[in-house]
Amino acid sequence: MHFQLNPLTQKKIQRFKSIRRGYYSFILFTLIVLLSCFAEILVNSRALLVHYEGSWHFPTYGAVIPGKVFGLDYSYETNYRELEKHFNNDSKNFIIMPPIPFNAYENDLKTSAFPPFPPSFKDSHYLGTDTIGRDVAARLIYGFRTAIFFSLILLVVSYLVGVSIGAAMGYFGGLFDLLFQRIIEIWSNIPFLYVIMIVSSIMIPNFLTLIAIILLFGWIQLTWYMRTVTYKEKAREYVMAAKALGASHSRVIFYHILPNTISIIITFIPFSLASGIIALTSLDFLGFGLPAPTPSWGELLSQGSNNLESLWIVSSVIVSMTVILVMVAFIGEAIREAFDPKQHTTYE
Amino acid sequence: MTTGYAAIAIKNSQGLKFNMDLLSVKDLKMHFPVHGGILYRQVATVFAVDGVNFSLGNGQTLGLVGESGCGKSTLGRALLKLHQPTSGSIIFSGKDITHLKGKALQHLRSDMQMIFQDPFESLNPRHTVGDIIQEPFHIHGIGNTLEKHKKVLTLLDKVGLPSDAINRYPHEFSGGQRQRIGIARAIALNPKLIICDEPVSALDVSIQSQILNLLMDLQKEMGMAYLFIAHDLSVIKHVSDQIAVMYLGRIVEIADRESLYQQPLHPYTQALIASIPLPDPKQRLNFKALQGEVPSPMNPPAHCHFIDRCPIRQNICNQQTPPLASIEGVKTSHKVACHFPII
Repeated sequence: MHFQLNPLTQKKIQRFKSIRRGYYSFILFTLIVLLSCFAEILVNSRALLVHYEGSWHFPTYGAVIPGKVFGLDYSYETNYRELEKHFNNDSKNFIIMPPIPFNAYENDLKTSAFPPFPPSFKDSHYLGTDTIGRDVAARLIYGFRTAIFFSLILLVVSYLVGVSIGAAMGYFGGLFDLLFQRIIEIWSNIPFLYVIMIVSSIMIPNFLTLIAIILLFGWIQLTWYMRTVTYKEKAREYVMAAKALGASHSRVIFYHILPNTISIIITFIPFSLASGIIALTSLDFLGFGLPAPTPSWGELLSQGSNNLESLWIVSSVIVSMTVILVMVAFIGEAIREAFDPKQHTTYE
Repeated sequence: MTTGYAAIAIKNSQGLKFNMDLLSVKDLKMHFPVHGGILYRQVATVFAVDGVNFSLGNGQTLGLVGESGCGKSTLGRALLKLHQPTSGSIIFSGKDITHLKGKALQHLRSDMQMIFQDPFESLNPRHTVGDIIQEPFHIHGIGNTLEKHKKVLTLLDKVGLPSDAINRYPHEFSGGQRQRIGIARAIALNPKLIICDEPVSALDVSIQSQILNLLMDLQKEMGMAYLFIAHDLSVIKHVSDQIAVMYLGRIVEIADRESLYQQPLHPYTQALIASIPLPDPKQRLNFKALQGEVPSPMNPPAHCHFIDRCPIRQNICNQQTPPLASIEGVKTSHKVACHFPII
């Protein structure tokens, strides 16, 4: 089949590209998200590559390799940082460690002092450690990955719910619409934070239950917008033409109306993404979010604000959060500008 | 068998009507409730179509004329079952389709199609021309991808569009070309009836005649019937065999083309025909415009709907509804709904 983008869509993409800060933010942000998928390669206590006695080992992804394999005197998991020191006076064997040779959970303690330790290149703690000796950079990066995938999954699920309910309300109208409007109005008056507090006092929320709880209240906003645009699109003649041809309701909604509302949906994505990150971070900050010791920005933030004399903790998380949210805002602004219907009206 | 076909062909060429009507409409009413207030109660009713009777033969064109808001388009949509009529009946090909639903209704769609007024609105801006024209095949499950592609090319050729239009989008075309796309979509399934809802009123005058001629050529070639809705009397005169004049939800006069233009009986028809612009400036001096406004379809006059604006009204007009009937001295096919038709 012949595939091509609608020239109007091409125009919008052109316009998006011409808004520099939004476009570059988009590229950078995508890159960061992609890199965070491979965080195990960049930030890990396991080595990338070990060459020992003529054989090659890639410990990053795979099972635990006990210390005995590398001629050490223990059978629990190899401490690769120790192994690296061990190999230093050995020309035949060598080891390549990731740029940040710590994982997000281990405590790197010293015998001479108590954590938190300030940033130090010598120890490879580029952003220092937190109050129990875990590497801040590692927790920051894994925390970002948690937050961004939390936000993305939440976005997809809440948009699926919001778009389908909103489109159904707008398309069928009448009593169905009226009923759902009232349900939403009642539903949106339930205080969200209390529900979270009650739920987390009964059970410790994990990644999926937290998404489910936020989804319970997060689908509402897009539903209103979808309802309105569907009402508008439904009244246009191409919908009447499709009905006259005998198209089913689902065909009219998904094949005809939905593609014409896509600009609304796309425009909201960056803002929903940002609000998802903020929601998780603030819940973690308050202690109602993901259980310890999951790396998270909110947990770092609360630790940092309790230990203001160790400024490196709070400053690193604030700087990274600001950078990410500003980038998302730039992307959102550029998309909104590029999809502005005043620029690309199809009514002529 | 061959002689039978030949006989039909001869009849056709002589312009004789078939006995069986393709479409016959009896006392069709289309009322819309108006809801209001916090309890969403019905507060009023719009009498958009209020008792319409007519019939249309195979391969014929019925012109439906009337001013804006008189219910022409609503009538067209009710016939296609895009609105469910309030009462009355629609007989199509000898079958009562008034209460048809589901699969049977979908099946019917391939026999009745519609051409819309605004070619900028009636084509989905997100789909290519190819997608738009092959949609009828897709919905009715006709042909595979290759066959559909071939059929689309044939249709494009039929309506006079280049074959490279298939991968382009509607906004890349002019109004007349877009209307051709809409026509290609409507004729795709070889329907027996096409409802043309003011198909040329959004176009330039120079383009109008091209589209009208295309429609008439297609009718000759494919033999379908048209219900041609318009507010432009000269357009209606050009295409129609029969003409129905509508006023506020009712047909006030119906006749074949010649007798309607030569001998209009209803005062409203006369006013309409008198309002056709003439190229001679001296002629226009005799023109008397109708006074007043069309009453709201939510609150039409109780009996004759035209009473408020009628120059010849009398007491009886306020007491009895004039039936749509033929009168003495004119052809029986010429019917008028007036107590005092002007002969």
